[in-house]
Amino acid sequence: MDLVKSIKISAAGMKVQGARLKIIAENIANADSMASQKGGIPYQRKIVNFHNVLDRELGTHLVKIRNYDVDKAEFRKQYDPGHPAADKDGYLKMPNVNALIEMMDMREAQRSYEANLRIIQVSKSMIQRTIGLLGR
Amino acid sequence: MDLSKSPIFSLMQRRLGWLTQRQSVLAHNIANADTPNYKPKDLSKQSFQRMLETPRTSISMAQTSGAHIAPRENKSAYRQEVVKDNYESALAGNAVVLEEQLMKVSETQGAHTLATNLYRKHVQMLKQAIGRDR
Repeated sequence: MDLVKSIKISAAGMKVQGARLKIIAENIANADSMASQKGGIPYQRKIVNFHNVLDRELGTHLVKIRNYDVDKAEFRKQYDPGHPAADKDGYLKMPNVNALIEMMDMREAQRSYEANLRIIQVSKSMIQRTIGLLGR
Repeated sequence: MDLSKSPIFSLMQRRLGWLTQRQSVLAHNIANADTPNYKPKDLSKQSFQRMLETPRTSISMAQTSGAHIAPRENKSAYRQEVVKDNYESALAGNAVVLEEQLMKVSETQGAHTLATNLYRKHVQMLKQAIGRDR
């Protein structure tokens, strides 16, 4: 049935948004993960990429996660000569995680998730309406 | 009496088919609201004139041997097209606007409700004619 197919398409969309939220949580949790020794690099912000894959069983494209990439932005620097990972001038590389950007990303993921959820609700009510034709 | 041969029911059947397919196209657009370079798609509008014409029957290839593989039927009966005049597009090349898509979804839902209610009404009328329902 075609409407069941649209429910499955939306479910795939919700799944990738969930995975995206997981990555955002990981980024925020690691906002202060510094390198442990000299010359090491701190935590790099991760990003997810989406793409479409043909699902042969359904005969349609479903959205899937293509890969996890790292953000290549510069690391912030902080003066902290006592830290084991500080360079010879006493500066320490901080992760390139920006809490504001993560919050914005999180909102976006949440909104997309809700939109997919709404599609499932609408498709479900359409199916129920069609089944309702059986009754009097 | 074959209900699907009656013009009003076959019209309704095609309308519901179109709406169902549109719903899955819109679901696809929304699922890809954050996929880079994705352009939203939509079905071409159903014209009343075209709906009144009798649908062309497709001729499928005959299978004369058990080893033949049946050609895959084109299940999407209605043509799908990429929306050209997009409202806006993001830096990553994605042109899906959630609000616009959700508006189309509610439009589809409304049309579906209308079609199912019309169907029900017509069945009721038939039942009344045969004296089962009052």
